[in-house]
Amino acid sequence: MIQAQEIETKLLDFLKREVFAPDVAVTPETDLVASGFDSMSLVRMLVFIETDYGFWIPESEITGDALKDVRSLAATITRLLNAR
Amino acid sequence: MNLNELLENAAIRFAAKPAVIEEETVITYGRLRDQIEATTTKLAALSLPPGCRVGLCHPNSVAYVVLTFALWRINAVVVPIPVECTEEEITEIATAIQLEAVLSPKARGQSIEVSSACFFTRLAPLSSPDNHGLNLAFVRFTSGTTSARKGVALSHETIRDRVLSANKAFGIGPDDTVIWCLPMAHHFLITIVLYLSVGATVVLARHVAAKPFLEAINRWKGTVLYAAPFHYAMLARDNSGTSIPSVRLAVSTTCALPQDTSEDFHKRFGISLAQALGVIELGLVALNTGDPRGRWNSVGKPAGDMQWQIVNPDEAGHGELAVAGPGIFDAYVAPWVSRNQVLRNGWFFTGDIARVDAEGFLFLLSRKTAVINLAGRKVFPEEIEAVINRHPSVRESRVYGKPHSHLGEVVVAELVLEPPDAPVDSIRQFCREHLASYKVPMHYNVVAALPRTPVTGKIRRAAPVA
Repeated sequence: MIQAQEIETKLLDFLKREVFAPDVAVTPETDLVASGFDSMSLVRMLVFIETDYGFWIPESEITGDALKDVRSLAATITRLLNAR
Repeated sequence: MNLNELLENAAIRFAAKPAVIEEETVITYGRLRDQIEATTTKLAALSLPPGCRVGLCHPNSVAYVVLTFALWRINAVVVPIPVECTEEEITEIATAIQLEAVLSPKARGQSIEVSSACFFTRLAPLSSPDNHGLNLAFVRFTSGTTSARKGVALSHETIRDRVLSANKAFGIGPDDTVIWCLPMAHHFLITIVLYLSVGATVVLARHVAAKPFLEAINRWKGTVLYAAPFHYAMLARDNSGTSIPSVRLAVSTTCALPQDTSEDFHKRFGISLAQALGVIELGLVALNTGDPRGRWNSVGKPAGDMQWQIVNPDEAGHGELAVAGPGIFDAYVAPWVSRNQVLRNGWFFTGDIARVDAEGFLFLLSRKTAVINLAGRKVFPEEIEAVINRHPSVRESRVYGKPHSHLGEVVVAELVLEPPDAPVDSIRQFCREHLASYKVPMHYNVVAALPRTPVTGKIRRAAPVA
């Protein structure tokens, strides 16, 4: 069973490292789309999750609600990973 | 001739018919012609010299179409620049292709707004480009496919010829509605120009997720899909049960179609994906509408008036693919090399190894050019290597596309570092600073040495098998 906290921590690291500009402070409450998270960021994130967990999350599962902030995204990914 | 003639002919016949649909806005052919006219007037006031090259950096939109045709009206040469490009990349293109100006969403200094959120910025090319008397319409910047040659130039006549030839294979007409999702900066001529020359309707699909895409197909009764395997794999995974009965042709392009994508899409929608082979220098070479599932890994038979031959085949019939036909490119731009200097007895040697079966279906076995296709975007490995190699800790690098079942390929960088334990993260950050987001490698592998060819000692390209 994967915990949401684990995914949230990984996502924060990933977003800082691979998606957002160095001057963007990323927290669990960060509004992803407003901070510049786009379709290429989504693809990059799905590859990141696939590399670590061996599972491709259908991009159709990542809806507008999931992209509200890092916490919602982590919750969605955790649910999908645990439902495999 | 001017490519506007194609659109104007369509506008005379289909003035009230939708040409382009963007969100809730339906632009008829008559309205599209009027918008092109208005933008032409604005651009003409800028007194650009005929034949000058103008970079067009703009997202998929009606405005993109209008700007392209308006630039053609004033006899400018359109040079598409993907919106993801960094300022540094735009400067590189501007210098290599000698751009007179750039149209982009970003205002720079003395910029003039020519349409909604699109700014015209005049540059100062060091010298005026020489188009060698050609009626050029388009230059596709191709960073380093053959390292020294940057830019493939196409005249209005060449584009007209390749559009006419390609449509003999596609058979698109005024009753067709194309649901469009690929970036126009990468795909425009045998697609958007073709559709608008025959009176078809183009629907710009905003969202790449399966649900809104399927909704757009059904809302607008889409008959033609033209997308990358990435998009078809995404649609095939949709489990809503929505069917798309209006679709009569679904073309898979930009990279090799995986068999499971072909099968999954057919199972989900009952539609066979037709694999196409497009080459920057040639236009549409082949389309597999003949036996799309039985020969799922074939790109089909010659499209339109194209001809091919397999040169110096081995015992298994494998040899280099050479192609002849209408619409072959006019020249490489920087440095200028004319078509006649490149063709051998009228044949363009693609560098791809291929075979043709007894029924005339073409199979690509390996590609000489190492262009990577990431979800419909073209990535040139040499361009990424050139950036990575500027990093002080990188001794040398090799970039290639690793096949990916959902994305086509992902970009991978192999690095030889000095010192060997230099932090990879700083190279990742360096790439992010200097490259468009889709070009930044997803994986970095540190290696002791790169594989080299035995004779020349050059770094061996990882040749993806189609």
